[in-house]
Amino acid sequence: MHHEHEIVPARLVTWRLVLLALLMVAGAAAFVARFAYGLGVTTNLSDNYPWGLWIVFDLVWIALAGGAFATAGLVYVFMAREYHPLARPAVWMGFLSYSFVVVTLLADLGRPWNFYHLILQRPEHSAMYEVSWCVGLYVTILALEFAPTLFERFKWQKLHDLWRVWSPVYTVAALSVFVFLMSHSLAMAALALVIFTAVAHLTRDSHRETGVPIILIVAAVTLSTMHQSSLGSIFLLMRDKLSAFWWSPAMPVLFFFSAVVSGFALVMLMDVLISYFFRRPYQWNMLAGMGKILWGVLGVYLALRFADIVYRGQFAALFAGAGHAAVAAGHSGDFGWGGAARGADYRHILFIVEIVVGGIVPLVLLSFEAFRKQRVLLLCGALLALGGVVFNRLNVVLLGMNLPGTQPGGLVGTYYPSLIEWVLSLSLIAAAVFFFATGVKLLPILPKAQRSYERA
Amino acid sequence: MSLAVLVDTTKCIGCRSCQVSCKQWNGLPAERTHIEGRDTGYQNPLSLSSHTYTMVSFREIAEPTAPGGFKRVFAKRQCMHCEEPSCVSACPVTALRKTAEGPVIYDSNKCMGCRYCVWACPFGVPTADWDSLTPVIRKCTMCFDRITGHMEIADLNGQPVAAEARERYAASGKTPACVKACTTGALRFGNRDDLLKTAWERVRAMPDRYVQHVYGEHEVGGTSFLYLAAVPFEKAGFRHDLGTHAPPEYSSIALSLVAPAAMGLGALLTAVYMLQQRKIKLAEAPAPAEKE
Repeated sequence: MHHEHEIVPARLVTWRLVLLALLMVAGAAAFVARFAYGLGVTTNLSDNYPWGLWIVFDLVWIALAGGAFATAGLVYVFMAREYHPLARPAVWMGFLSYSFVVVTLLADLGRPWNFYHLILQRPEHSAMYEVSWCVGLYVTILALEFAPTLFERFKWQKLHDLWRVWSPVYTVAALSVFVFLMSHSLAMAALALVIFTAVAHLTRDSHRETGVPIILIVAAVTLSTMHQSSLGSIFLLMRDKLSAFWWSPAMPVLFFFSAVVSGFALVMLMDVLISYFFRRPYQWNMLAGMGKILWGVLGVYLALRFADIVYRGQFAALFAGAGHAAVAAGHSGDFGWGGAARGADYRHILFIVEIVVGGIVPLVLLSFEAFRKQRVLLLCGALLALGGVVFNRLNVVLLGMNLPGTQPGGLVGTYYPSLIEWVLSLSLIAAAVFFFATGVKLLPILPKAQRSYERA
Repeated sequence: MSLAVLVDTTKCIGCRSCQVSCKQWNGLPAERTHIEGRDTGYQNPLSLSSHTYTMVSFREIAEPTAPGGFKRVFAKRQCMHCEEPSCVSACPVTALRKTAEGPVIYDSNKCMGCRYCVWACPFGVPTADWDSLTPVIRKCTMCFDRITGHMEIADLNGQPVAAEARERYAASGKTPACVKACTTGALRFGNRDDLLKTAWERVRAMPDRYVQHVYGEHEVGGTSFLYLAAVPFEKAGFRHDLGTHAPPEYSSIALSLVAPAAMGLGALLTAVYMLQQRKIKLAEAPAPAEKE
């Protein structure tokens, strides 16, 4: 299955890439400005709005970058070989995405130079700690997943052999360390070591068929599942602030499924964009197949959302409107300082838009073979499903939050991202696109175009 | 033993000595403030900030029988020093920590500045000094440095201090600055259990004076600042919707599942892979007849 990739024979410098590069320069300037002048001057963040665009941006991007693990899992673990052409671009996209998310985090952190305390301290009760470790380890796994592209391109046979032997060893060690950090238990770590060593041993021949030791993919899916869900766990602490339409003890599970949804959707849209911009044959049949898988995952996700909101007794509040579901916390149900309910009236509308436009509509669009064969419907389905998850993250971080503001004065003012926040965020998207496009022109990432992957 | 402070808002006259002494002890700069008015009366400043760890909140509550037709409720506000703090649970680097003594304290040497604590706190307390290039999180420490330190005053104005007075000074040095400065006895520092007992004794002795509620006894699983009031707490500007569960309850369950879930998922994925591989091998294997 390997050695079926090619370098795209296209001009390295194009006017589009120059535009992206200019945006990247602006972003670099924004990054420097943020550290030269401080967060207070360069952003519109405050004690009332301690998190803003950059955090929304990170959460959205990580959910989309879930395409990397979801596709790798689909192709290598579930062995849906027909989607193999999507795997390598997805991993390249994932590696770039996670790398640039880390750049945003560096800008967002007030004291990023203290990051090494993530290694020295072990607060296993902190979701942020879990996410930090999990993302950090996952980036190394993504790099290992992507490494064969470099070995092939530069014919680094020795490194390739070393990689085959040592990447599983590293992976087993990384997973065991991770389990230890999350459990504080040597017994658990030993068990993890045994389990993952067994996995590596049982699948030791897997690279012969797929080019990748399966333990790498197992680690990628496992670590992704853990940090995608833990990003949901971050908001479990905010039961007193997040509207009950979104706050749920099931948030970790919902975050995971929504990441698979947006990940698959992004990989589909990416493939279309790649075909368009590099003038390669479209793979509509394969995409229709992906559409069916996306439909399945979206169905599960929506069913969970529905069960969750009914189980928590918030379903009726959707239609009763105002205030009823202001916050989940407490016994009185309403939200208040001085008795006034501050649950905004439009929350139920946000929820309904998210679920209907970003969930039920794409579910319908992707539900029938005949629909999925219609390119416009298929793309609309993927785009709306992706949009629904983006909107979900925006709702969870900002729009669905009843922020109390610093006490006892309360919330003062509104938050709009500053120019520097916008420029930095947009420049990192530009950077990801720039490096993705340049990468496929220099490295064998995309499948060989002349070979037909279409199943007639 | 867990240390705590009892705030009897019915004894507070809003003099703000606590506010001033806090600034003095912690070396906090003044800030330009204004009086907002509305129902907050002379409250000044409006909110806690990186320069203000504690402040007295003012509420003017309509009461026809009172002189002027309203009455004031003053309440000293600061970090509540929760029994199970959200900020501590949030912190990815243990920069925030609940001490055995009771105070929740912060170590800027560990802090990455992620501000999850600011977002997570149900009382809207932690603040960041946004204008700094090396911003730190700031909040009340219950004067952890005072209460765990030892203040030895051997002489005053050149006169030696008697042993009895020395002891008295040392003891008062082990009190939070705000409590020490309180002019009316509205603040009381001590063991949380003892203070709770005191609080309920007061409520029972004077049921007309107090509402039947010690704020902080059960809120978010209990706090180390306890409040008594003459009016329902929501009228005094306190959150009344927090419930009695400690917020970290849910996230700690979710996170305790991470390690076992990672192992289970790893094993499950491998099983799926091996089954799929077997299926494909069987499908691809040439029929026995062809083999021959």
